[in-house]
Amino acid sequence: MFGYLQVQKSELLVREWESYKAVYCGLCKQMGKDYSFLTRLSLSYDCTFYAMLLMSLDRSCTGFEKGRCKFNPLKKCQFAVTQSDCFSKASAFSVISAYYKLKDDLADSGFFKKLAVRLVQPFFSRWHKKAAKRYPQLETLVAEMMQAQAQAEQNPETGLDASAQPTAHMLGSVLALEASDDLQKRVLYEFGYHIGRWIYLIDAADDMEKDEKHRNFNPFLRSDEQDMQAYQTAVLNQSLARAFDAYNLLTFIDFKGILDNMMLYGFPSKQNTVVYRLKEEENDKSV
Amino acid sequence: MTNPYEVLGVSPSASDEEIKKAYRELAKKYHPDNYVGSPLADVAEQKMKEVNEAYDEINRMRQKGKGTGSTSGSTGGGYYSNGSTSQFYSVRVYIQRNMIQEAEQILDSTPEGNRTAEWYYLKGMCAFRKGWSDQATSYFTTACNMDPNNQEYRAALNNMQGQQNFNYGGYNTGNTSYGNASGCSCCDICSAMICADCMCSCCRSGC
Repeated sequence: MFGYLQVQKSELLVREWESYKAVYCGLCKQMGKDYSFLTRLSLSYDCTFYAMLLMSLDRSCTGFEKGRCKFNPLKKCQFAVTQSDCFSKASAFSVISAYYKLKDDLADSGFFKKLAVRLVQPFFSRWHKKAAKRYPQLETLVAEMMQAQAQAEQNPETGLDASAQPTAHMLGSVLALEASDDLQKRVLYEFGYHIGRWIYLIDAADDMEKDEKHRNFNPFLRSDEQDMQAYQTAVLNQSLARAFDAYNLLTFIDFKGILDNMMLYGFPSKQNTVVYRLKEEENDKSV
Repeated sequence: MTNPYEVLGVSPSASDEEIKKAYRELAKKYHPDNYVGSPLADVAEQKMKEVNEAYDEINRMRQKGKGTGSTSGSTGGGYYSNGSTSQFYSVRVYIQRNMIQEAEQILDSTPEGNRTAEWYYLKGMCAFRKGWSDQATSYFTTACNMDPNNQEYRAALNNMQGQQNFNYGGYNTGNTSYGNASGCSCCDICSAMICADCMCSCCRSGC
């Protein structure tokens, strides 16, 4: 997970922005409780989105409580309170993803980065074990995804769709776990599939130059399109459009304004920032 | 049965106009045109049906004695109408029933010489159902190039292009409307009328 699932702050109501922060802080707090102070650093916007989606689906958010931020004791913040285990689940998902990402980094990066990764890896192994034990389904799905991804990248035939398939399928299956009936399961899978596909492809678009330099796999480098930015925009738009169609078939009540904001403003503006290499907005800086 | 007001997302005390507006918005959202070829087409159709039923139910409750409230205008289904004459009839049935693997098996076992425009179209449908939009686009393009007069293939390709140009993100287009339909719809006119109506009634109460 890479942190592309953001809100567009300028389009949020103040109270929506406050509750978005409260979800972020609530998740951060839970991560500290479940794992360690250090894992909080692996917290991403993507996992915040996941936690908020879960909380909205099962309508488990009961309110907000006040407290102090662990990183900045002078700052008072609000924490979202939930009856279900969605913060724990999102924390586990974040830890599991971070663990595999580290493992992946170890395989293809330079000497110094390798050294740094080796230093933190033992800690992450321990936390990962704990997370995997608590949420075995998440662990299986992410592990399968990593394996399928490695296979896809080795195959010279792999095109754009096939290279995005593992991530897309993983996120689709992760969201489908939350379904209350078969119909909703299909909608959630389709929604997760296209969000996952979008995440994979936007990350590929973001890393294109780096991957070209290091001769790493990148689906866009295999394409012979003339106008690369137009092509990327078309492909990414289509994923968002299809995710949005599925999103419209789900019923959200809590956090609906924030989720709508992400679907309609946050993701597209992030996409433009990445594809057209725009400067990061004020929006992205701080929660 | 579920509360029809909940289905439309309005309060039971909402005015007729508010209900009509909520209904129109939902009907626009679940319209089958938004889900052509999508694996979720049947879900959207189901939702559309619920909305239609809820709207009818509310109308019936409100207009008791005044007449009927039948306003349903569902237009679901009918996308595979020319299936029976097709040489890939079974493939179409499989796709319709979301059995993509079976459909692809038949398609892939078709010898190279028999790969007609329809074959490319159906390959595109399979790819689209799996979420492989990029491949779907190129299959539909091939189908259209082979048989430029076929409405079905053209519609599928147009659908792809529509999604790719989705009026998303304002920076490069300078557009601030992000909905998936564009222009001034009847809903806009309707809401303008409501506004005008409100102003009228304000004046009246002031008198």
